[in-house]
Amino acid sequence: MKRRLFIATGLSATLAACSQIGTKLNDNAGFHHALESAEGLNERVIGTRGLVREYSASDISSDFPVNSLPTPSDDSYVRLANGGFRSYALTVDGLVDYPQRFTLSQLTHLMNLTEITRHDCVEGWSVVAEWQGVRLSSVLGLVRPKPEARYVVFHSYDRDDNGTSYYESLNLVQAAHPQTLLSLRQNGKALEIDRGAPLRLTVPTQLGYKSAKWLRRIEVTASLQGLYGGKGGYWEDQGYEWYAGI
Amino acid sequence: MVEQRKTVYRHSLTTRVTHWVFFIAFLVLVSSGLQIFNAAPYLDASDKTNPTRRVLQISSPAAGAGTTTVFGHTFSTSGWLGWTDDGMGGKGARAFPSWITIPAYQDLADGRRWHLFFAWFMVIGGIAYIVSALARRELRELVLRPRDVPKIWPMQLYYLRLRKEPPPHGKYNPLQKAAYTTVLFIFAPLIVLSGLALSPGFDSWMPWIVQGLGGRQFARLWHFAAMIGLIGFLGVHLGAVVTTGVLNHLRSMVTGYYRLGAHDGTGV
Repeated sequence: MKRRLFIATGLSATLAACSQIGTKLNDNAGFHHALESAEGLNERVIGTRGLVREYSASDISSDFPVNSLPTPSDDSYVRLANGGFRSYALTVDGLVDYPQRFTLSQLTHLMNLTEITRHDCVEGWSVVAEWQGVRLSSVLGLVRPKPEARYVVFHSYDRDDNGTSYYESLNLVQAAHPQTLLSLRQNGKALEIDRGAPLRLTVPTQLGYKSAKWLRRIEVTASLQGLYGGKGGYWEDQGYEWYAGI
Repeated sequence: MVEQRKTVYRHSLTTRVTHWVFFIAFLVLVSSGLQIFNAAPYLDASDKTNPTRRVLQISSPAAGAGTTTVFGHTFSTSGWLGWTDDGMGGKGARAFPSWITIPAYQDLADGRRWHLFFAWFMVIGGIAYIVSALARRELRELVLRPRDVPKIWPMQLYYLRLRKEPPPHGKYNPLQKAAYTTVLFIFAPLIVLSGLALSPGFDSWMPWIVQGLGGRQFARLWHFAAMIGLIGFLGVHLGAVVTTGVLNHLRSMVTGYYRLGAHDGTGV
């Protein structure tokens, strides 16, 4: 019994020391940079290689947590919402041959995908929902990215308490994935405001923070540098991985 | 007069290096893993999150109170689990306490960075160890065979001092073989696959593995359970080290040479 206590105490003390040293190292810029180097390897090894599982209607979760602010406080968004989004138009521009604005009725006419997929949060929880909308690849096909285009950046109406805008980005391969969707409807109904109305992104091949809500503008770019914090997303600018497939 | 004892070369370079890599990487993976767990401190035996199939939940029902619920039975764990030190000098609603997580304070992004970095050391070390053990035909001494099974109980009796002699065995005794076999063929593959199954990118690659484990939340449960199993193994493994000559074992894990003596022939 004494021996077991000794081992348990020893292991606990070692773990505690490990936590102490780890916390110190975590604040070291060079070490932190080394930790970040695993992301590229993870992306190369895991990547996005096929289609994620699609579910049947009976699998849809009855409860879908809202893990963002309930509604953007942006003035222009509030005006749009008060008008039932009738004057909403999505701007798609940047490094494209035919920059365009898509009204809600145009987007509704373009709807070409319904998918029931699992939304995996970086925190660990998962919910299943049905999403209906336009494949991102279809919209990109209409605006025609230029040869130097590399990324698709999603600007949201959302801003945090400090005024920092929410945004996300995908590379052209992830953007062309057949399950990457611009969603207008969730579980058979037009998106609720707290779910990202009138238009949000759904990327079931990556963690939930990629699926930006309240889309304002889609911008095709050659690089992510110079945009907001430069890391390609709101959470990425705060230390989360740009490759959110793991 | 100093008694001269024979030393034998016992651990190959690969075994020694990978053992230290495993030890450090495992400690980091446990503490960063608990940091990640803290972001959603519950485990469901289901694909999507489903509170009706909850196996474990650590929560804080009120300030100052921490509870742990296992299969529907709730225990008060204030100070240990649920309501713990937050790594910034205070206490708060936090499943696992700061002293056991990396970083100490709540930081999911960095916990993930540590976890997904050190997982590679475990994987590369694991491959190196298996390849080297296969090449040196060491696995055949480690793996439990059907003929070892009847000897497991007599060996346990010997350890409990209810039997004078251990049953006859090779380099490793039947209990050791059972433990190594469980780690190599159950816990290690399970922890790797269940970890991968948490990744939506992996789901786009091998969805059948995710489904085979019962879904994503179930994979979290398997991942946690395999961690508990490996911590148990590490406890027993280090227990054997401590009771059969710590310094001799530590030296053999550094230089490779083990001094034969009272415990000769007994591996760890």
